[in-house]
Amino acid sequence: MNIFLTLMKREVLENQNGYIRVPVILAGITISLVILAMLGVGELNFVNSMDHHEVENFGDALSLAQQEEGDELPAAVTVGYWALSMITWMAFPFVVFFSLLGSLYEERRDRSILFWKSMPVDDWQEVLAKLLAPVFIAPATFLAVTIAAQLTIALIISVVTLFQGGPVLELWPVGLMIVGWFTAFMHYLILAVWALPLFAWLLFVSSFANRMPFLWALLTPAVLIAIEAMFFETTELVRWIAIHMGGWQEFAFDGFGRDVDIDGPQELFRMMTSGWQGEALSYTLTSGSFWFGTIIAVGFFFGATEMRKRAT
Amino acid sequence: MTDYVIEARGLSKAYGDFQALKPVDFKVPLGRIVGVIGANGAGKTTMLNAVLGLMSFDGELSVMGLDPSKERGKLMQEVCFIADVATLPKWMKVAEVLDYVEGVHPKFNRSKAMSYLGRTKVPLDRKVRALSKGMTVQLHLAVVMSIDAKLLVLDEPTLGLDIIFRKQFYASLIEEYFDEDRTIVVTTHQVEEIEHILTDVIFIKDGDIVVDEDMETLTQQYIEVMVAKDNEEEAMALGPIYKGVSFGKSTCVYKNKDRETLAKLGETRRLGLADIFVATMTGEGQ
Repeated sequence: MNIFLTLMKREVLENQNGYIRVPVILAGITISLVILAMLGVGELNFVNSMDHHEVENFGDALSLAQQEEGDELPAAVTVGYWALSMITWMAFPFVVFFSLLGSLYEERRDRSILFWKSMPVDDWQEVLAKLLAPVFIAPATFLAVTIAAQLTIALIISVVTLFQGGPVLELWPVGLMIVGWFTAFMHYLILAVWALPLFAWLLFVSSFANRMPFLWALLTPAVLIAIEAMFFETTELVRWIAIHMGGWQEFAFDGFGRDVDIDGPQELFRMMTSGWQGEALSYTLTSGSFWFGTIIAVGFFFGATEMRKRAT
Repeated sequence: MTDYVIEARGLSKAYGDFQALKPVDFKVPLGRIVGVIGANGAGKTTMLNAVLGLMSFDGELSVMGLDPSKERGKLMQEVCFIADVATLPKWMKVAEVLDYVEGVHPKFNRSKAMSYLGRTKVPLDRKVRALSKGMTVQLHLAVVMSIDAKLLVLDEPTLGLDIIFRKQFYASLIEEYFDEDRTIVVTTHQVEEIEHILTDVIFIKDGDIVVDEDMETLTQQYIEVMVAKDNEEEAMALGPIYKGVSFGKSTCVYKNKDRETLAKLGETRRLGLADIFVATMTGEGQ
């Protein structure tokens, strides 16, 4: 276990740029934008829907929202914080993609593989660490940055609201925020186990490509998709990839939420946090295509391990 | 437990049609320092890579009683190596390298490594990328010397270093690391620098082991004679394996000839390892 923790720590260090610097910079940009916006809405009288003569600033708007939609406000605030976190998470798929693609490729290129191999760590342990880093570590660091950013944004808005005499406590729906963070992580984990065959494919490419793993990773499926379309006039492969990239949710939530009329942030939030993950999990575990994908993932994993055994 | 650290029988490696290593047999006991010497591309690294579990091979090979091609992870608890290129991860800080090794290697002694590093100018908070070539080797040596391993394999460890670093490198290896419970296998082109520390020598030529002897026996076998002018015919008759000229006199190298007989031909001297190597590789002494 100690070995595995050390390997994971190394993955964080090696991917510092993607795992830590990128989200920190993007969250920093978001926070700057919030500060700019707060400075700008000192005089708030241009928003149509809030065209009340007594609404002059953010604090007033918050007071009004509290009066008229008090039930909805905590969920609305939480969803709002997440909306502001989206800039950070937009980079996430790219970070995962490139860290997987470089993982077994860079160590061969800079010859550090010979140092790693001089240590009593089996190849399968190394490959497993590199496969699991984007499943657990990357979302954990992104989430940590997200949490820090959401708290910072709440603090900034609170200070402004305090000066404007608005209901500051409404900006701290702490319970909902915690539920939101937890839910986001759990939801990502389910997305990630579905995406495992794709992750393992990238890892496999990085274990054998001598040059341009990027092209190998994308061109190979592109060519296969084209061949399939030309000779069989079907689109099975592209569908399969789409399903594992998140398309499975379409089926998992088929019927779920359809009969619910989402009329407000509270409903939306409740739907996203309650039952959604449970539904997703039970769908996942009983889905044939999930298990088929897992077998494919295991295949690529063994391929990558075998390639690494032979690499110097 | 086997008496030998390395035992190879019919060990060979082919890349397609190219036979990088012909079937070779050799044994390396504990408590030795073995020099593996050969020209570039002779098969040294191929042989060592097989021993270290870095590639597949044909034939039988047992290192510390394990099959390196199947149990590299386990083997590396007892074996350390420094490859012939700089392999320390460049993006890591020196302290992070130590953290990593401490985390994965049960036989690593961090305080030992710190004390070795304390005697160098290697800064702990600097990235490996920013270290000089000499410092990088010092760091790597500090790491491997702090691992309580039975076998240490060094493939051209001092390549590209200046003479002072090279001397220090071998000095600390002998003074602070080597003992009768360890074996060191080393390859280098700078034969002169290691010949005084070697106990055994393996010469490799074109993928084959041509000499496998202990130093004492090897150096006794070869005698060079500065042949006196009148004795040249006699000298040739004895069948030298190598002929040369130095200071206007012809010199002949003999293998396994009686020293007394040779002394009558002229001034005799023992050959250095480098000269033995050259004589073996270019002459008829194989």
